[in-house]
Amino acid sequence: MEGTSGGFRKELVGKLLQLHFKDDKTKVSGDALRLTADLLKIFVVAAIRSVRQAQAEDLALVDVDQLEKVLPQLLLDF
Amino acid sequence: MRAPSCRRGDGLRTWRLKAAVHYTVGCLCEEVASDREIRFSKQTIAAISELTFRQCENFARDLEMFARHAKRSTINMEDVKLLARRSNSLLKYITEKSEELAQFNSEQRAKKRKKLEEENQEPVEPAEAAAAEQDNPSL
Repeated sequence: MEGTSGGFRKELVGKLLQLHFKDDKTKVSGDALRLTADLLKIFVVAAIRSVRQAQAEDLALVDVDQLEKVLPQLLLDF
Repeated sequence: MRAPSCRRGDGLRTWRLKAAVHYTVGCLCEEVASDREIRFSKQTIAAISELTFRQCENFARDLEMFARHAKRSTINMEDVKLLARRSNSLLKYITEKSEELAQFNSEQRAKKRKKLEEENQEPVEPAEAAAAEQDNPSL
């Protein structure tokens, strides 16, 4: 993704999903894990960017208020 | 970094996962912050982290249902693409990523096939090469 190199590890994503599966037999392919990791990264970056844009003034510190403003739209996109 | 909040009944496993998410979110925040000379409060990082953790639950449930709907027990890339359906730009991005992954896989298989052929000095069935390079389900 443009500009960012951090991201979610495949193994972490696998465990995160596994936590919520209803069926023991449910598995995830390696490719699906990588793709989900990408999706999660976009989710986080979108949250970060939305927060940044929601700043009315040029605040040096981004606080939870900004996050609350953008939350509905962010969740709608997902 | 402030520890993630946990509810009563959350096991150690959940706590560890939340901490791992928190760490990754923190890293991403730091990258953005250093780019633009801004800072994110600890509360904001924690809030985004909690949000992400909860979003994983939605993803997991949906993915499981999509695979089940297709009468599969293994979730694949098509299921993940469905998750991104609500936003056109998001869907486009994820579709591109999935094509990159598929492309990468077929290149890997071609390499393996070539290697096997060179080792055995005889042509190899594509199926054999695919089996050698099998993408095992991770869970």
